[in-house]
Amino acid sequence: MWRLLAEALAVAGKDLRAEFRTRVALNALGLFALTVLAAVSYTVGPYRIATADRPFLLAVLLWIVVFFAALAGLDRSFVKEEESHTAPLLRLAASPAAVWFGKLLFNLVLIYALMAMLVPLFCILMGYRIVLLPAFLALLVLGGYTLAVVTTIIAAIIARALTRGALFSVLSLPLLLPLLIFLIQGTAAAADGTAETLASSIRAVFSMAGIMTIVSAALFPVVWTD
Amino acid sequence: MRIADVLKWLLLVWLALTIVAAFFYVHPAEGFIGESSRIVFFHVPMAWIAVLAFLISCVASVRYLMRREPKDDIRAAVAAGLGLLFAVLATTTGAVFARIMWGAFWNWDPRQTSIAILLLIYAAYLALRGAVGDPERRASLSAVYAILAFVTVPFLVFVVPRIYWSLHPDTIINTRGANEFDPRYTQVLMASLAGFTGLFVWLYTIGCRIEAIRLRRHQEALDD
Repeated sequence: MWRLLAEALAVAGKDLRAEFRTRVALNALGLFALTVLAAVSYTVGPYRIATADRPFLLAVLLWIVVFFAALAGLDRSFVKEEESHTAPLLRLAASPAAVWFGKLLFNLVLIYALMAMLVPLFCILMGYRIVLLPAFLALLVLGGYTLAVVTTIIAAIIARALTRGALFSVLSLPLLLPLLIFLIQGTAAAADGTAETLASSIRAVFSMAGIMTIVSAALFPVVWTD
Repeated sequence: MRIADVLKWLLLVWLALTIVAAFFYVHPAEGFIGESSRIVFFHVPMAWIAVLAFLISCVASVRYLMRREPKDDIRAAVAAGLGLLFAVLATTTGAVFARIMWGAFWNWDPRQTSIAILLLIYAAYLALRGAVGDPERRASLSAVYAILAFVTVPFLVFVVPRIYWSLHPDTIINTRGANEFDPRYTQVLMASLAGFTGLFVWLYTIGCRIEAIRLRRHQEALDD
């Protein structure tokens, strides 16, 4: 168990060091998010949307920016290994479970960094007021985690296919759409203060996180070694 | 005549009778505009088969990962292809009904969202199959994707419509209970479900046989 954790941390540490040298994924995520946020803020701004529509419509915009930014960069974790032909070495060096967990940790760091930058900026630029802040933060943490779990296994799949770029979004979006619906409804509820909808959204995201973690941990060795 | 031929003719007669019964045996249901309620006899079987095909595809995928037999991969792929066809039919019949009852072909009702995502999943699955060259890797990667997709579907079908608001009529029927439902509706609906499931099974076995022949010819060409 400890060995697995140490191996996973080594994989994540290696990826983070390599990432900070080139910053390909960070730039892809961060700049994509900033560009889209600038476009949204410029065209919509804080006053264009009627007050009654604000909680829901701004939640939609927020999560669309987060999801598409994630889809722009989270496939790097595995695609990079195949492109630089380091995957066979990694297969020899670490167990599949450690690789999966390490890559998941790396994607978690990326997605949480993105959210830490993007969400406050979005709220400031769009004048988005969240009433139920602690529950909203829980929703963000859980949502980011589920997003990372799903994109990690899909990145592992597409890294082994012939055409990678477009396939990542094509394969990820159908699996992420229920999550997107839960997060949008939950965020809208957090903004207008309906605790009941927010609580059921958090429960739904939590159960999805649990199931996706178990299934991808069980299936990852097939994707990685075949 | 072989048994399969007899069954094929029986299926033809059965489906023809069901279609006639759908239009002449049952009366239009109350609370629905005009004749729109009759679409239930075609829409529900299509949606049911779209889900059934998805289930078969997932079971075949799990079996492939356990036994590694190309036969199971063929089953999963054929079921997914047919599932896509029936999901398209379910979506279009549902959209026609939505136009009559609610005034718009598409309004992203949670039920419509779930069938649209089922369509996307099928399309993504087939896109993945097209993007992997090596047959064994294609089989295992697409099996993994089918299982992952199968895990998300319950969230769409059961969780999303329960939490958020839906116009779709079947929840109303469920809460009212079966007694208020015209028994003729149940008879024709069951007959239609059985008939279209038979049609699906027939298409599915033909598809599997074609793919098995294709695989064998491919292997023969490699051996020569």
